[in-house]
Amino acid sequence: MADTHQEWLRKMEEQSRAKQASFMDGIAKKLGRPRLAKAPEHPFRGAPDFWNAFEWTPEERIERFSDNWRSVGGHVARLSDMNAVRDFIAGKAKEMGARYVVRQNEAELAELGLEEALPEAAVSVWNTDPDTYWKARSAEADFGVVMADYAAAYTGSVAVLSSKDKGRSVSLLPTVLMIVIPVDRLRTRLGEVLVEFDRAGRENLPAGIHFISGPSRSSDIENDLTIGVHGPGVVYALLVG
Amino acid sequence: MKVSLFITCLSDAFYPRVGEAMVRLLARYGVRLDFPTVQTCCGQPAFNSGYWEEARDSARTILEAFEDSDFVISPSGSCTGMIHHYPKLFENDPAMLEKAKKLQAKSYEFTQFLVNVLGVTDVGASFPHKVTYHPSCHGSRLLGVKDEPMELMKRVKGLEFVPLPFAEDCCGFGGTFAVKMADISGAMVSEKVDHVKETEAEVLVGLDMACLMNIAGNLRFRGEPVRVMHLAELLAEGAKLA
Amino acid sequence: MSAKTMPNTVKKRAELALNDDFLRKAVKFTTERLRNGKKNASAEHGNWDEWRERGRQIRLHTIAHLDYYLNMFVDNARANGVHVHFADTGADAVRIALEIAKNKQAKTVVKSKSMVSEELHLNHALEGIGVEAIETDLGEYIIQLAGETPSHIVIPAIHKNRYQIADLLSEVAGEKLEADTTVLAGFVRKKLRENFLEADIGMTGCNFAIAETGSMVLFENEGNARMVTTLPKTQITLMGMERIIPSFQDLEVMATLLPRSATGQKLTMYMSGITGPRREADADGPDEMHIIIVDNGRSLQLGDPEFQELLNCIRCGACLNACPVYRHIGGHAYGGTYSGPIGAVLTPALNKNVAEWDDIANASSLCGACYEACPVKIPLHEMLIYLRRRKVEKGHGNKLEGAGMKGFAVLMGNAKRFRAALKMGQIGQKLVVRDGGIRAKIGPLKGWNSYRVLPSLPKSTFRQRFATLDQEIRQGLQEMSPEIRGRMEAALKKREREGGGGHHG
Repeated sequence: MADTHQEWLRKMEEQSRAKQASFMDGIAKKLGRPRLAKAPEHPFRGAPDFWNAFEWTPEERIERFSDNWRSVGGHVARLSDMNAVRDFIAGKAKEMGARYVVRQNEAELAELGLEEALPEAAVSVWNTDPDTYWKARSAEADFGVVMADYAAAYTGSVAVLSSKDKGRSVSLLPTVLMIVIPVDRLRTRLGEVLVEFDRAGRENLPAGIHFISGPSRSSDIENDLTIGVHGPGVVYALLVG
Repeated sequence: MKVSLFITCLSDAFYPRVGEAMVRLLARYGVRLDFPTVQTCCGQPAFNSGYWEEARDSARTILEAFEDSDFVISPSGSCTGMIHHYPKLFENDPAMLEKAKKLQAKSYEFTQFLVNVLGVTDVGASFPHKVTYHPSCHGSRLLGVKDEPMELMKRVKGLEFVPLPFAEDCCGFGGTFAVKMADISGAMVSEKVDHVKETEAEVLVGLDMACLMNIAGNLRFRGEPVRVMHLAELLAEGAKLA
Repeated sequence: MSAKTMPNTVKKRAELALNDDFLRKAVKFTTERLRNGKKNASAEHGNWDEWRERGRQIRLHTIAHLDYYLNMFVDNARANGVHVHFADTGADAVRIALEIAKNKQAKTVVKSKSMVSEELHLNHALEGIGVEAIETDLGEYIIQLAGETPSHIVIPAIHKNRYQIADLLSEVAGEKLEADTTVLAGFVRKKLRENFLEADIGMTGCNFAIAETGSMVLFENEGNARMVTTLPKTQITLMGMERIIPSFQDLEVMATLLPRSATGQKLTMYMSGITGPRREADADGPDEMHIIIVDNGRSLQLGDPEFQELLNCIRCGACLNACPVYRHIGGHAYGGTYSGPIGAVLTPALNKNVAEWDDIANASSLCGACYEACPVKIPLHEMLIYLRRRKVEKGHGNKLEGAGMKGFAVLMGNAKRFRAALKMGQIGQKLVVRDGGIRAKIGPLKGWNSYRVLPSLPKSTFRQRFATLDQEIRQGLQEMSPEIRGRMEAALKKREREGGGGHHG
């Protein structure tokens, strides 16, 4: 089966490559000119200039991020250091009776020592055991704990990037999501974060870049706001530093 | 300077008093309106329905009528807006296209001319009534006539202005739309009149007689005693010119 | 109502909607909420017109160079390990999707919202080969259970109330569920969670595709699109060929315009950039990722100066919420995948059968609210007129209307004839005028007079009165003040300088 599927994929790939030229030629023809070989001048790239000059002070960023996050039903805690983060998560876990916790495999989170701080809960570390079905493990978790890679205050958004140590599931499947945001990763505008991906270039991008701006929500039933439809319904932004 | 009146076929036939009000108001500022009688209709009913050949026949009378005017003033944002479509309508006829562009540049909706060109915002009128205002779509959205009527109404003594809820919503006229999609149009005008009633205004004022005919027609159909006027009429009456 | 029993004109379908009180109220309420949300969000953000203009420029630029950017996207997506396919038609796209499903021996496909998939009627095709297709967006899930199609781009189940929804979900649950939003949404969460974890294929649409990195971007609030792109082993993305933007920087502009215009949010709860299948060492994300690039009539707009801008559309639904016609008749009355003003133009444009298409382009008062609401400034109100014109030019206009317009041209092409007709009207109306108005529901007046009273023609027209009026004015004419004369002269000078059009908004 595997071979025939690979073979089929190869066949499809061939067809696709053959089709690509005619597809693009067709577009150029309809546009009434030959195919473009060179990059066209793009004078309107990105946001307007007045916007790119806009920046808040670090304190303002924290304030505005927190306001935005709360306004969509998220929770915010401003914490002085990682010890306070550990205590906060442990406190919440106790309060809510969390039994399963999954966290990303990151140095900052390892240093928290959640395993010791939460003796009553089973704490798993993403992708540390090849025999575990990690998606299911995340799905059964009460708490997911992740580090923010970036955050943008203006929209109240956090960006998390995937890797072998950072599962996409950890920020998606648990009931409660704890996002640790070192304040030096908090920018003013969304564009300040997005431009990093242009700079990094295709080869260096992870498979999943996810911006999270609060708890999962829907208004699909009679415009009545429901929190936690598919993703986590309880989301904490823990601003550290 | 030749200032000409583009009366619009609807006001010519049904609402001559609107043209009269404009003539009398402008005369106060030394503007004697000229009225070329070869004008008929801007062609919008045909244009909007897709009958451009027919629209051109009608548009030619307007282009001819105002060929040597310096300013062309109309009591309708919609018909003025139609003149803005003339360059598109005649895009394949270089000679007419040239004329179309010229006419577009010199055409003004009535309050645009009064406020933006003449610089008049206070006509010295008094009108002690509760008034609400429906901004017609083409005038406000496509020509951008938004502040001009407000500036004029603000300075009318005794006028109590009540904002119309959902004012920017279309009244449902839409030319042939009111005939072709009568039920949808009917639902829209009924909703508009509901909002007019909510204001408890005695007078509904606007800048486009087509929309006002539509709304007034529904008011009358429902037996509502709200008076419907063009802003030019209100100003002329308030200044005791009528 | 299923699509099969729908009448074949907008007018008839609208009639049904106008008589459905719940529907009218629900649609009005929802669109009102979204419209206000958009207004507040755009005002709060500030400089909205500059953002719109920027959005428009980025879209214009990309579409004008689509061969270049799409090709770049394809090359980069391939380099990311994506299997890219091209579909000229909807049928091609369906064939490719089914082939993938067969090759993966798939039993279940979980789907996040995709308008392209609706265009293709893909669920039906999947069922045809024994694959269960499950919509996972809450609203889409509900209407799938009801066997209906979306009636709004952003809120697909806008036309259903909670009692109807409770009935539908109770059937799935096998027990009576309370008509309470939290209970109902909670049930769907649990139910679909199993499907996400078990499905063989995840299928998505695509809000934007980034040419320079080969990434595809999804905006959503529920998290179901993330589920669909994270859990199943195979991902298929259906992408309209025009979804391209050049860079992540350009995404900031789209991210500024799209959520604010759609729901009034600063950003949707999730915005995901997916760049290829999972990396080898990753423990989640799809092993295999396919992107099907769909034309299905889109390229017909390229090079058409009147309709190319249609491809700028970012599917935010703002024109639906702003449209007074949509608010009264709802989405199903439009009779196509896309409803509202964008649907009225896009449906015939994609099908390129303007001539045969029913009266959809007539379902607009041309008020321009759609254009004003559009975050990329597509002149939909003008496109509707172009559609009507093309229909007439192709000889598919309404015969009666055509004759009427010929009469109009004869009448209005000459002032003498116009004058004569008015005179005839003044005399003829005596038969029907009562108390200065006409109420008779006869002939072409039937529609008008079902809701209104037509005024009668006054004794004399303006042109009949003008000579007397002018005489009177000439006597009392005021001297023009130097200020006013100066302003008029300045306006003329300005016009000469700028070559016209300057005083207009």
